[in-house]
Amino acid sequence: MLQKLWHKKWMVLCLLLGCILLIATVVSFPLYRNAAFDRMIKDEFDDYVSEKGLWPAMNSMLMIAKNDREGKSIVKLENAMAEMDGAMGVTERERIYYYSLSKAPLQSTWNRTDLGTDGLRLGFMSNLEKHAKLLSGEMYSESGYSEDGAFEVVVSQDCLVNNNLLVGETFEFTGLADANKNMIRIKIVGVFAEEDSTDFYWQVKPSDMGIVALMKEDLFREYFLGENAYHYSITCQFFNLFEYDDITAEKVDQLMEKTVYYTEESAIRKTMSKPEYRELLENYLSKRTRIEAALFILQVPVLILLCAFLFMISGQMYDMERNEISVMKSRGGSSSQMFRLYLYQSTFLTLLGAAAGIPLGTVFCRLLGSTQNFLEFNVRRQLNIKFDQSVWSYAIAAAVGCVLIMTIPALKHSRLTIVKLKQSNALRKRSWWEKIFLDVILLGISLYGYYNFSKNQGSLAASVMEGQTLDPLLYLSSSLFIVGMGLLFLRLQPLVIHLIYLMGKRFWKPASYASFMENVKNGRKQQFIMLFMILTISLGMYHAVVARTILQNAKENTEYLEPVDIVIKEVWNKVPSSTDNPTDTATAAYMEPDYSRFASMPGVEAYTKVFLDERGSVKTVDKTQSACTILGIHTKEYGTITNLEAELTGKPYREYLNELAVAPDGVLLSANFRDVFGYKVGDSVEYKDRYGTIIQAKIVDFFDYWPGYEPTSITVGADGTAQKQNNLLVIANFATIQKNLGIYPYEIWAKLEPGATSDAIYEWIKEKNIHVVKYADKAAAMRQVVQDPLLQGTNGVLTMGFIVTIILCAVGYLIYWIMSIRSREMIFGVLRACGMHKGELFHMLINEQIFSGVLSIFAGIGIGTLTSRMFVPMLQTAYAASNQVLPMKLIVNQTDMNRLYLVIAGVMALCLLTLITLVFKMNVTKALKLGEE
Amino acid sequence: MEEDRSKNYIIEIQNVGRTFSTASGDFQALKSVNANIPEGILTILKGRSGSGKTTLLNIVGALDNPTTGRVIIDGQDVSRLSAFQKEKLRRKKIGFVFQSVSLIPSMNAFQNVEFSMRMAGIKGDHKKRVEECLKMVGLGSRMHHMPSEMSGGEQQRVAIARAIAHSPSIILADEPTAELDSAMAAEVTKLFQEMTKKEHVTIVMTTHDVGLMDAGDMVIELENGVQISQQADA
Repeated sequence: MLQKLWHKKWMVLCLLLGCILLIATVVSFPLYRNAAFDRMIKDEFDDYVSEKGLWPAMNSMLMIAKNDREGKSIVKLENAMAEMDGAMGVTERERIYYYSLSKAPLQSTWNRTDLGTDGLRLGFMSNLEKHAKLLSGEMYSESGYSEDGAFEVVVSQDCLVNNNLLVGETFEFTGLADANKNMIRIKIVGVFAEEDSTDFYWQVKPSDMGIVALMKEDLFREYFLGENAYHYSITCQFFNLFEYDDITAEKVDQLMEKTVYYTEESAIRKTMSKPEYRELLENYLSKRTRIEAALFILQVPVLILLCAFLFMISGQMYDMERNEISVMKSRGGSSSQMFRLYLYQSTFLTLLGAAAGIPLGTVFCRLLGSTQNFLEFNVRRQLNIKFDQSVWSYAIAAAVGCVLIMTIPALKHSRLTIVKLKQSNALRKRSWWEKIFLDVILLGISLYGYYNFSKNQGSLAASVMEGQTLDPLLYLSSSLFIVGMGLLFLRLQPLVIHLIYLMGKRFWKPASYASFMENVKNGRKQQFIMLFMILTISLGMYHAVVARTILQNAKENTEYLEPVDIVIKEVWNKVPSSTDNPTDTATAAYMEPDYSRFASMPGVEAYTKVFLDERGSVKTVDKTQSACTILGIHTKEYGTITNLEAELTGKPYREYLNELAVAPDGVLLSANFRDVFGYKVGDSVEYKDRYGTIIQAKIVDFFDYWPGYEPTSITVGADGTAQKQNNLLVIANFATIQKNLGIYPYEIWAKLEPGATSDAIYEWIKEKNIHVVKYADKAAAMRQVVQDPLLQGTNGVLTMGFIVTIILCAVGYLIYWIMSIRSREMIFGVLRACGMHKGELFHMLINEQIFSGVLSIFAGIGIGTLTSRMFVPMLQTAYAASNQVLPMKLIVNQTDMNRLYLVIAGVMALCLLTLITLVFKMNVTKALKLGEE
Repeated sequence: MEEDRSKNYIIEIQNVGRTFSTASGDFQALKSVNANIPEGILTILKGRSGSGKTTLLNIVGALDNPTTGRVIIDGQDVSRLSAFQKEKLRRKKIGFVFQSVSLIPSMNAFQNVEFSMRMAGIKGDHKKRVEECLKMVGLGSRMHHMPSEMSGGEQQRVAIARAIAHSPSIILADEPTAELDSAMAAEVTKLFQEMTKKEHVTIVMTTHDVGLMDAGDMVIELENGVQISQQADA
């Protein structure tokens, strides 16, 4: 067997390559999926932490135990919590107990009468000593008792001040006694505060412990829990924090299941509050299905091509071995023996393939995870690659697939005998697909899909918003379209060639004549390789366009929605009003912070003040109020930091700004004022800011797009259906707004110098100690687009698909040609003997290449372009439905196409080179001898 | 004097030797073979396999060059011709018939025969001549069959028709009967004989089939590259 393999080493190498690529591609899918999902979860939690400053991975419980017999319910709850903690399967970070007794009156032993309180709650917080610092005094002692036997307690600053307590003072609870009816006494030994205010231990802030005195935990437990609990009413709070870094994709299901169980079904459900992380995980889960489906769907065509490649090469190999097989059969080798031989051979190759394919899969996975753009990689953020059971099962499935694909053709061949071989050689008939008009059927299905989807493009967007996945049918339609067009081409190609042949039948030179004959008569043999070429090239193109378009549109969209590099909105203080009525009214005056400070922002090219009120309203023609956004701008400055492509608005952006600049009382309105409400240029319009100050204005112009403006948005209603809504935007002169509203908080919009980063601005804000209520960073938003798992995964899969496709295309074409020439060497010998010179032979082969190869390549390019034009807009909708504002642009990146053409040209050149060497090295007598043997 | 004489012979084999270099040293396939073959006869090159007859035939057909000696065809020293001139010679003056199936599989019988006329650059309507040749070999009724639809004997007859179609002066046939049964072999040989008469063509065929020896007008026998006999029946 090994000897046999060595004999056909090139074919075997191709098969091996196919196996390796197939296994690597299949394995990279779960690897990437798992790693990307881990990252997605971490991002969800990280974002939550950085946005809200809270620890989301936490379960909390609250129970008030009144007259609890023997403290059983508390023990039960504590046990339940410990059990839950274990059941979640995630590493615990911190378990916090915060128990307190109900408020009880007390009096100072110093007989002070100026106490600010009528009572305190005595309690404890577990591990307080590790997280608190003391502002004055000291922590309760190891024993927990003071010298005179009172409980030592610490209180918060608020508690101390509000209640007018003193450190060192001892109090007696008048309404609280221990089990032996002895009065409880406490001594305040210290005042505590958070050691670190960002420490997530502080689920209950010291500032919220206005009437709480904290004592040592074991003393509290000794005196008030267990058997003694019966006498008290105890508020028990548990906070169970766990490490969200530890929540990996495979733990999510268990975590979710247990969370649902404990919060909705278990005995302790009523004590539990809805955990924050549940929404994060639900968010993740809904994205997960979508991403998983999208990635899978995108990978299917590449997998099919890989299978086709393996099938083609192994078929070719068996074809070469046909004679051997039929001889062996005629000498008595049984079909099952033959089959077993090939089964061993395939298994051997597959094992080799797996040995190389699985490591390659991890490389693929890393590449997937570092995809920055189509065919661009950036390894800044590494994925954490893990091999779990799912990876191995995928690998095994792929390996079994490989073996089957490589062995099935043998099944067909192992039944051959010499007689049947001769017979099958004589068969010349139409392919089965031509007879059943498969091409027409496939085209019909895909065009029906295309028609349906394009008719319902709007609802397609809505369905994505409602949480549905990328419709597999949509992607399937495009794939079917490619296959259908490819088959149609195969049906037509022989007719065209035949027509050309007939046109010049008499005049063809012998070489052309022979190549025409070869193609007319034997063309069907080449159908598979031609279809393969068409599919690889058109899919490659299609994938390139899909990837570029989706990402580029998402980027441009973000670019549009984030009109400037940096937006800063400072906290403005109100002028202390003489009347004690600090409500938000239009009359409330603000103190304008020092605007000149912004001049020192580093790396800023230009900046301007912008008034933005997203809760304004406008009186529409039918006298009702509609919500609108009001934007007040300094036209000149605004124009230098923002820009808009003229093709979006129909006329240069600057013209709008100029129109507004010359009309102090003018406004620019979004086009829906005109289209929905029937306003005209020159009409007057009345709009109000959020506090109701009315401003009268004249309409200067309408615009379709404005930097950052979304004409319509889709929102998902309470019933889960998506609704489209018009957004109104009013743009006025900043000066006019300020004249009407007075001094009012504005935003600073800044444009960075080329090469400057937002980090410097961020540092500057910290350094200047500017309190910010809004900070928008375009670069960060752009980074998020690139790192979005769906986009990145799509890009990655398409990029990998493109690379694999190109390899297959190159290798498949080369091997096919070499084999096809080798198998006809004898005929070439005959032709040479008949006096055909090498040039003519070469000419003949080139002709053949043109008829099948070059034509298929052009067909592939044509079909790829057509498919992109038809289907990419819809795919794009499916991806970006939620926030695609700009009209979709089809991005055909010339570099990608050039790369593709370059590879094709390289392959063709290599083919030519092989042809030249084969033809010129060919020894006529040897070639003829070949026939004799 | 010698020049005059040579005109009677279409093929003159003069002192032809051929040595192949192989891994295990030089191998002398032919040693100084001499023969003069007159126009319009059927010559049989006889000998066991490995005796060098195919090598000799290839040299005569300008497919191979002799190491020593020379072959003169129609008064032209073949070894002095350029590759292009040799190709031209093969195209116009020589027709080949090979041992195994040598038809172009993608062409039917008619097209295979016509192809040699194209190769020879013969202008005008080929149809009549092609039909004539196929009828000559007894395949008038199977003109549009593909090679794969014909038996070995039929295919070989198509190959013969192809070799004659462009009216060459010489047909070189390398073991044309090797894969045929003896009845068929006899028939093919008979066909060759007829053709020498009808088309006035010179045919050289190799064979190891002793039964066919009598058919030749001239027999050249080789053994281990050495010419052991040459007899002319005429």
